[in-house]
Amino acid sequence: MVAGTPTLAKAIAAALVAVTIVYMLAPLLVVIGASFSTSSYLVFPPEGFSLKWYQKVLDTPSYLRAGWLSLRIAVLVTLITVTIGTAAAIALTRFRFPGREPLQALFLSPLILPAIIFGIGMLVLFSRYADGPSLMALVAGHVVITLPYVVRTVSAVLVGMDKATEEAARVMGANRWQRYWYVVLPQALPGIGAGAFFAFNISFDDAVVAIFLRGPDTETLPILIYTQIEFSSDPSVAAVSTLMILITVGMIVAVERFLGLKLLTDRRAAGRG
Amino acid sequence: MRRDGPIGGASEPALLLTPGLFFLIVLFFLPVGLLVAESFVTVTEEGERTLSLAHYVRFFADDYYLGVMWRTFRLSLIITLVTLVLGYPIAYIMARGAAWVALWLGILVIMPLMVSVVIRTFGWMVLMGRGGLLVDVAQWLGIGGRRFQLMRTEAGIVIALGQVLLPFMTLTLYGVIAGVDRRLEEASRTMGAGFFATLWRVTVPLSLPGIVSGSLLVFALSISSFITPALVGGVRLPMLASSIYQQALTTMDWPFAAAQAMILLVAVLLVIVPYTMLAKTRHA
Amino acid sequence: MKSTLRLAFAGVLAAILPHSLSAQELVVSSFGGAWTDNHRELVIAPFEKEYGVTVRLVTGYSADIMAQLQAQKDNPQMDVVHFSGGQEAVAAAEGLLAPITEAEVPNLAKLYPIAKEGIAKGEGPAFSAAAIGILYNSDEIDTPPTSWKDLWDEAYEGNVLLTDISNSYGLLGMLMINKVYGGSLDDIQPGLDKIAELLDDGDEVVRSSTEVRQLFAQGDVLIGPYANDHAYRLKADGAPIVFVTPEEGAAASFLTVNLVKGRPEANKDLALKFIDYSLRPEVMAGWAEAARYSPMSPDSKLPEDVAADVVYGEEQISKLVAFDAAKIGQEKSAWIDAWNKLLAQ
Repeated sequence: MVAGTPTLAKAIAAALVAVTIVYMLAPLLVVIGASFSTSSYLVFPPEGFSLKWYQKVLDTPSYLRAGWLSLRIAVLVTLITVTIGTAAAIALTRFRFPGREPLQALFLSPLILPAIIFGIGMLVLFSRYADGPSLMALVAGHVVITLPYVVRTVSAVLVGMDKATEEAARVMGANRWQRYWYVVLPQALPGIGAGAFFAFNISFDDAVVAIFLRGPDTETLPILIYTQIEFSSDPSVAAVSTLMILITVGMIVAVERFLGLKLLTDRRAAGRG
Repeated sequence: MRRDGPIGGASEPALLLTPGLFFLIVLFFLPVGLLVAESFVTVTEEGERTLSLAHYVRFFADDYYLGVMWRTFRLSLIITLVTLVLGYPIAYIMARGAAWVALWLGILVIMPLMVSVVIRTFGWMVLMGRGGLLVDVAQWLGIGGRRFQLMRTEAGIVIALGQVLLPFMTLTLYGVIAGVDRRLEEASRTMGAGFFATLWRVTVPLSLPGIVSGSLLVFALSISSFITPALVGGVRLPMLASSIYQQALTTMDWPFAAAQAMILLVAVLLVIVPYTMLAKTRHA
Repeated sequence: MKSTLRLAFAGVLAAILPHSLSAQELVVSSFGGAWTDNHRELVIAPFEKEYGVTVRLVTGYSADIMAQLQAQKDNPQMDVVHFSGGQEAVAAAEGLLAPITEAEVPNLAKLYPIAKEGIAKGEGPAFSAAAIGILYNSDEIDTPPTSWKDLWDEAYEGNVLLTDISNSYGLLGMLMINKVYGGSLDDIQPGLDKIAELLDDGDEVVRSSTEVRQLFAQGDVLIGPYANDHAYRLKADGAPIVFVTPEEGAAASFLTVNLVKGRPEANKDLALKFIDYSLRPEVMAGWAEAARYSPMSPDSKLPEDVAADVVYGEEQISKLVAFDAAKIGQEKSAWIDAWNKLLAQ
């Protein structure tokens, strides 16, 4: 912390962190607890201890298939969205041109419109002018719904940056690519990281757009969960969720261990822009 | 192509924007437009298609739909405020605290996002239903009677949706606060301003783009969320997105669903645009 | 950097593109989750084996599948669709389904009349049915309810669970209540008025099957109209929930298998074979065993323990109340409007 942070601030910080921890974790604890429970329904506090729901998940090939498919779709969507979203955000924040403000608002619109309207619209579009829903339609649909997140988060970071470094780089003879690669992108990194995370997550968790846009034999994990709960309330979905939590934490810790977690802890990229 | 051009050259932003605009126009406005066009068409009894505003009139002439819209806006505003008040300090601590604090707070904030919204909402349903832990705590504090529960209440919607959307607020703010030049804060402290004065006079104004961005994100997401309000609020406290889902899937009335979505979109833009402009003048 | 990116993209694209197409394949809808697990075991896998073809699945609820079907009117992607909410009546009326005949589907001849009433109108046949009656908690309620009117018993005040009519089981429950209190498909006011009394008592309304099961399992509610297949799921998971057919009768919710119009001729033969396969007596008996749906043929023989949980046999089946799905399709929008306003009060 900044030297000389008053005790009062520290106390408030500690209290806020505690409240937020409880708030953020409360529903997750129910889910995690239920996944180890013997009860066939979600109950809290959990009853007994058993690993049978994990056994069931690992014995159900459709979970693994759906999870793997969702993962691949989400990675592809994130790569595409981050690339075009970052480019758009740079244009919207680093340049002045007529129509810039309306465009900024326009890029938000996929967020506001309930996804079902977009899903049905895409379904109509692809049915009319292409060969109906398909995996590519689904990826395109996910790119559209994740684009606003990347544009917003990257813009938010770039707006606060001064342009002096970029100007200096230009004066010192850096060409356009060097400027982007060595100056603008590093500045934008926290925004890109947050945006990529949102994009990955939204794609990985979307059932609404997917239900209309996927072709046959493409059952993603959210579609599986969405249909699964109609016929079974057992905590196997809780077990899947717990596994997801474990994988996420494991991944973050591994990245931190081996790469030093640039996105979260390295503020050189942003702080001294 | 020129090897280099001045910042602000006309071709460069156009080039950068093209892929994004392609997706936005061809794969968003075109498909949505196909549906929205239908919302201005009414089929007469003779089967003739005529241009009309009947679907829009149906919405605005009915107290039921106006009530649904009012609830949607009111709760979304409250949720935005709740996430801002909770999210800002957490984002600040992440940005200014020790590396390990940032890491674990980051994990904490991110972790819920890895659990499907449906499943997380189920967690809340267990805690907020009759006999749920949260309800027990509330009753122990003397809130609510014997049949008290948080399920199917507006408070329940705010609690559950707030948790779902808090990560979006926190991560957006974090990105911006981390970018605020620390030397400015240090300068303020050196010149004798207290910690809180510095926070209020230096950090918060400098992170205004993040506050604007985060609250827009959360407000927009809250307005259009469906799963959490539908499960926690139940059928007796409908929000606009649930109504749109119902028209689209249960009664298959796509034109009316599209009309409601248009009303929602325009209403939100009417809130967002003045807000952005206000924030911009404040920031400048 | 650009070329590496492009290479990476191509790699990821190749990794997720659909697998190669085999010569004969059929695209079929299924409801997903455990239902599809049963579907695979009872119909899809044995059918693929018997005819040496590949069946590809599109999973989703009836309403989702109906939306796809409607959008793809001129260019349908599915050969066979399954419905559980009466959508076949609307789909047939809109010309989305192809009519089938007994000559094409021999097993049709053996079905109960109730299962093939829609055939003449171009709908597909029902292969199973769930019964909508009353579920109650047998630990808390000693005298089993016998009539729909028992829901208004003062002893259950505040503990009755109703289901929204956007859920087709909920709709059928509301229509039964309406019928018992003198209403008809032309007038649902009597039903709405009685339900308003329950709402005044603080009874709950939920939307989905999973909420119904959760609230019954948690003991938050004690009694309410719903379906026998979910009563069985609750019982199998250890909750003390029992299904009863009230004396005024239970409503039938049909599971139908339908042929989509406008698909290539080559697929049609195979699709008809698929429908015929779905109507085999042993397949329908398999559904009863797996999920407690009533078989739609007198030739399906059930073991005693299974028969106890389902509406079974010619006599009992004939007592099921089958509401006119086409009429429901026409009125649904207005009913939902009235229902929403009732709930919002």
